[in-house]
Amino acid sequence: MGRSVAVVGCGQTNHSRRRTDVTQVGLAREAAQRALADADLTMEDIDSVIIATGPVLFAAVNQPDKWIVDALGAQGKPVVRVTSGGGTGLAGALAGVNQIAAGTHERVLVVAYDKLSEGALQYSISTLYDPFWGREFAVGIMGFSASYWRSRIKPLGHTEEAAAMVAVKNRKNAMLNPYAHVKKEVSVDDVMNSRYLCSPIKLLDVPPISDGACAVVLSSESAAKNSPDPAWIRGMAYMAEAENAIRRSMRQSEPLTLAAAKVYKQAGITNPRRQCDVVEVQEPYTCFELSYYEGLGLTREGGAAELIASGATQIDGDIPVNPSGGCAGANPIGAAALIRLAEVVQQVRGRAGDHQIPGAKVGLCQAGGGWANLRGVSVVSAQKN
Amino acid sequence: MGLLVDYDEPQMMAATLTMPYTLTTGPAAGTFLAELANNRIVGTRIVSTGRVIVPPEDYPGGMSDVETEFVEVPQTGAVTTFTRTVNGVVALIRLDGADTDLLHRVVGDTAGLAAGDRVAASWHTGSVDELASPFLQLAGFAATADGTTGEVTPLSGPAEAIAELPYSMKLDYEHSYGPYYGRMFDELASARRIVGSKCPKCLNVLVPARGNCDACFVPTGQLMDVADTGTILGFSVIHLEFLGQKRKPPYVYAEINLDGTATRLIHNVGGFDITKAEELLDIGSRVRAVWKDVSPGSGTLDDIEYFEPIDLPSSGA
Ligand SMILES: [Zn+2]
Repeated sequence: MGRSVAVVGCGQTNHSRRRTDVTQVGLAREAAQRALADADLTMEDIDSVIIATGPVLFAAVNQPDKWIVDALGAQGKPVVRVTSGGGTGLAGALAGVNQIAAGTHERVLVVAYDKLSEGALQYSISTLYDPFWGREFAVGIMGFSASYWRSRIKPLGHTEEAAAMVAVKNRKNAMLNPYAHVKKEVSVDDVMNSRYLCSPIKLLDVPPISDGACAVVLSSESAAKNSPDPAWIRGMAYMAEAENAIRRSMRQSEPLTLAAAKVYKQAGITNPRRQCDVVEVQEPYTCFELSYYEGLGLTREGGAAELIASGATQIDGDIPVNPSGGCAGANPIGAAALIRLAEVVQQVRGRAGDHQIPGAKVGLCQAGGGWANLRGVSVVSAQKN
Repeated sequence: MGLLVDYDEPQMMAATLTMPYTLTTGPAAGTFLAELANNRIVGTRIVSTGRVIVPPEDYPGGMSDVETEFVEVPQTGAVTTFTRTVNGVVALIRLDGADTDLLHRVVGDTAGLAAGDRVAASWHTGSVDELASPFLQLAGFAATADGTTGEVTPLSGPAEAIAELPYSMKLDYEHSYGPYYGRMFDELASARRIVGSKCPKCLNVLVPARGNCDACFVPTGQLMDVADTGTILGFSVIHLEFLGQKRKPPYVYAEINLDGTATRLIHNVGGFDITKAEELLDIGSRVRAVWKDVSPGSGTLDDIEYFEPIDLPSSGA
């Protein structure tokens, strides 16, 4: 991977269904300020900035990185925008990690955000599809996700009840997260009785639409010398698959499998369930979390329903998944993947607050962009190697 | 029957996105816009340095939280520079006492306009509701013979900020089909036939037709007729309603593998009792295209009305 890379600061906004007190720029700045404060650094210490946002149609400002420079005080620094759908936050982090690993920069501020309340979300997302071939029938990513989930129910046992348990777990965990804005516990019955949006996806399988931002400060080893409790990036990858791939598997995400294999090799992980203390996954719908259990190798193919039912992924289980509440607590799409990274970083730094997993040393996170075609994975740890 | 298209002409598909928004203005722009209704121009003054910024900004100190105040800026100033466009003169205007330029238009007689000329604000006189944006309450700046220089003053009794602003974008596109899509959609319209391309290496048939195999990275070369029957790989009954939706829920969205192909087609399944979709349809259910009864077709996937189930269980349609 080149030079070692540490995360020395993380910040999030207080996410909300709609923030009318700040512009897009104000959201990004709020997270960046908190990340710098957490790192005990100022903008003067930063020598590169990565801005990560979802599709610009979400909030009507084309090239928002141009607008954001002044508010971040980033004049005269390299500022690059990275965008990759829902996984954009981790794609942005990877760009920053590569800048440091390659030796071109010492400290990189990665700021990811989306202000989803500004526009018509499902309409915007439907424009991700081929204008000739898919847009006519697209239902955001929900139609596709529901369709894929259904193909997994019989062969893999990813039942509606199993997905409902994911909703119950994540919404319960979100109660402990000060940045989450959906704070309402639900029962399996509540989820099962909620109405179908795109069957088998029901209302309570679906995350909120949020305004929010997240920022992290990445640092080289030498620049991190004076930083308290840095977390180390032990592996990070972001993979794509073909748009309309030949004999694409409906059961497993190929780019996720590839990204996980690469990252586990980088990080020396051979048994993720045993070696990782905490996991954060980007689960736009509950069915995705079940699929990710298998794609990340936390269980065998077809083992996801048993895994959630066993309680292993609960906050007090042996492999806690989404102790922050995941996307169920807040889902500012462009920031969501960076939030997953920031959450596991704060876990291994012992700074996760009320949802801290005691003694967490190794964290695993996952990100997804596009619909199924972009997947990212990262492993972070309290130890450099 | 021949193809409809003259391939010497570039083939385009027109598409329009009409996107509505509710923009968050932030305190500075929100106050600026609200005060325009009172025919006042608001700026931000940085207290420590006295620097005056027009239009006002939320974060003039970058990441530092500097103390700022709203000020009323004079309605007079000088043209810094300008350009003539087909829609009139657009200029950067330095209002008296300000440290930044305001971009706006110059109205009235601009024939002899020169940099450095004195100008004064010109206000819209009708209702604000007539305006495309509250910013246009400030109609522009007009040359003035009055040489008096104004002064920046504290903003007395600031209006409540306009926190949210309705906005919309209508985006018109002309997408180029390219040779493969062009031929494929033309075949849909003229011959009710679905066309794929065959990879000479892996022998897979790819729909939509494309020039290269994604798996083997070799040119496909050969176009193939593809059956309009297939198998459901996944489906969902759509109840969700959203802006921009092309169909009225409930309807069935499905990923369909056409017979003999290696790819998926997204379409709808219909022609049966949708309320029983959960019982009647399954992964592996067989479907066939039901073509619209129009000739020629539109040259889109919409020429297929929907895919209907073949051999439904006896309780079916
Ligand atoms: Zn091939």
